[in-house]
Amino acid sequence: MSHVTDERETIVRVCDVVKDFRPGFGLRRKRILHGVTFDVHENEIFGFVGPNGAGKTTTLKVLMGLIRATEGSASILGCDVAESEFRHQVGFLPENPYFYPFLTAREILDFYARLSGVPASERARRVDQLLGTVNLGHAMDARLKTFSKGMLQRVGIAQALIHDPKVVFLDEPMSGLDPLGRKEIRDLILSLRADGKTVFMNTHILPDVEMICDRVAIIVKGQIRHQGRIEDFLPEAGRKTDVVLGGLPPETADSLGERFDLKMRGLGDRVELQVAEKDVHQVLDSAISAGAEVVSVTPQRNSLEDVFLDAVRAGGAPE
Amino acid sequence: MNSLSRIYALANNTFREAIRNKLLYMLLGFSVVMISSGVVLATLSYVEVHEILQDMGLAAIRFFSVGIAIFVGIGLIHNEVDRRTIFTILSKPVSRNEFLVGKWAGLTFTVWLLLALMAGAFAIVSLLAGAPLGLDHLVAIVLIGLELMVVVAIATFFSSFTTPMLAALFSVGLWMIGHLSRDLHALGQQSEVGTVTTMANFVFLLMPDFEVFNKTLEAVHGLPIDSGEIGLAFVYAVGYTVCTLILGAMIFSRRDFK
Ligand SMILES: Nc1ncnc2c1ncn2[C@@H]1O[C@H](COP(=O)(O)OP(=O)(O)OP(=O)(O)O)[C@@H](O)[C@H]1O
Ligand SMILES: [Mg+2]
Repeated sequence: MSHVTDERETIVRVCDVVKDFRPGFGLRRKRILHGVTFDVHENEIFGFVGPNGAGKTTTLKVLMGLIRATEGSASILGCDVAESEFRHQVGFLPENPYFYPFLTAREILDFYARLSGVPASERARRVDQLLGTVNLGHAMDARLKTFSKGMLQRVGIAQALIHDPKVVFLDEPMSGLDPLGRKEIRDLILSLRADGKTVFMNTHILPDVEMICDRVAIIVKGQIRHQGRIEDFLPEAGRKTDVVLGGLPPETADSLGERFDLKMRGLGDRVELQVAEKDVHQVLDSAISAGAEVVSVTPQRNSLEDVFLDAVRAGGAPE
Repeated sequence: MNSLSRIYALANNTFREAIRNKLLYMLLGFSVVMISSGVVLATLSYVEVHEILQDMGLAAIRFFSVGIAIFVGIGLIHNEVDRRTIFTILSKPVSRNEFLVGKWAGLTFTVWLLLALMAGAFAIVSLLAGAPLGLDHLVAIVLIGLELMVVVAIATFFSSFTTPMLAALFSVGLWMIGHLSRDLHALGQQSEVGTVTTMANFVFLLMPDFEVFNKTLEAVHGLPIDSGEIGLAFVYAVGYTVCTLILGAMIFSRRDFK
């Protein structure tokens, strides 16, 4: 189920990136990124999460070469982000994307396909296929100025994928989408991973991250607070497993309650036990030897939200 | 080769955007009215009818084509950054230099097309009025085309780092200086003070000289046009454009798009 990613090739490398903005002429420099460092490995879905204003979009802009890092270095597929030639292997969906309003969806995608060097023979087919993928088949020939926010978001996703890039960067991919649209995009991102692509996504929607990301970095006030595989976010001791048993004799239940630290709840003729991960084996052994039937065993992952909220709260101002 | 096809795609798109601008058609229509109004004026005066007609016509062509070039050019880069359309474009294998050149090429092509339309109107009006029409007129109009190329480069340059308002101010200012610099230079030469003369010479070297593109007088009055001067105008236009774009690219490549 979970993807082993740590031994894979590094696709994106961000090393001690510092970014200062000067809000206006003569104004004091404001440090937005305070030495951001992280790696994205091949064929993983990397979630870059953080509260509003944490510096997610700024980091992504450094990676896209739209702004230059004040200090530090960033590379994608081994190429410095200041270069442009390697970008035929890179797709990018900006935050709240906006496109030439006078073009149709088909025209704009053809334009991006040309810029990305998609051969003329494949362009029309790619454009049609992608507009289908993002469910805009019905609006192909409508001018973009008539598009809703969610439709523009879909165009943005289509243009990010038009040249079949190896690495895809998405800034808030689910924003502006309806629940069905969000599910579609989640499935699309998963299918990208299945096709061997690497996906980097900025978001603050934690359930989405838990559902699809392999690894996560949490950024707060321009500093990376946590980074690692999604499973590693919880301390080992804190993990619980839900065990549902049928036909558990009452005396066994009592003795289990005495021997282990667990919560027990009756569900009709079944019992649900919340067991610490380290005790699961022993609990199951005792229950089975007492003649109980195992209905389900579900490892319970504490929500990423807890870690996230802790990180945000712990983060005093770095100034 | 790849670079050229990307520049072509960008230029093509700039052209498409420009020709969907309704104000452009208004300006084009107005210029045609101005070109034709020479006929009316010409019928009112008794002497040099054709000269007045064609003088006004060519002046209107220069004025309106340069006006459109500046009007569209000042927002050319700024709007792309402002509306964030540049984000997705630069995330493709497009360098900032290619972007700048593509935008410049697209607008230059657009104003050349408009120049051709105005020239057509000029020819029709001249024929209707029975004015002579020759190769000299064509030369005068081609030279306006060269001037447009430079003006678009200047507007693109300013648009790559400042607001449309300021870009308009700078571009119009530079264009006017370009047409007055010879007079200013001549004025400086008349000064008794040596330093003033030297300064006038220096300023003349730095400032554009757009009078090299002005052969209206010769065309209208049937005076000979030196082919060497045409060659010089061509070299001047290309040189000025290349330098302006290189300078623009240098500034543009350092920008942050926030
Ligand atoms: N153009 C700018 N000039 C000055 N400061 C800016 C500019 N753009 C962003 N900032 C500052 O940079 C910080 C990080 O902004 P950024 O857009 O990277 O945040 P984010 O993590 O993407 O937030 P969100 O979740 O709201 O998209 C913010 O504190 C913001 O005030
Ligand atoms: Mg953001």
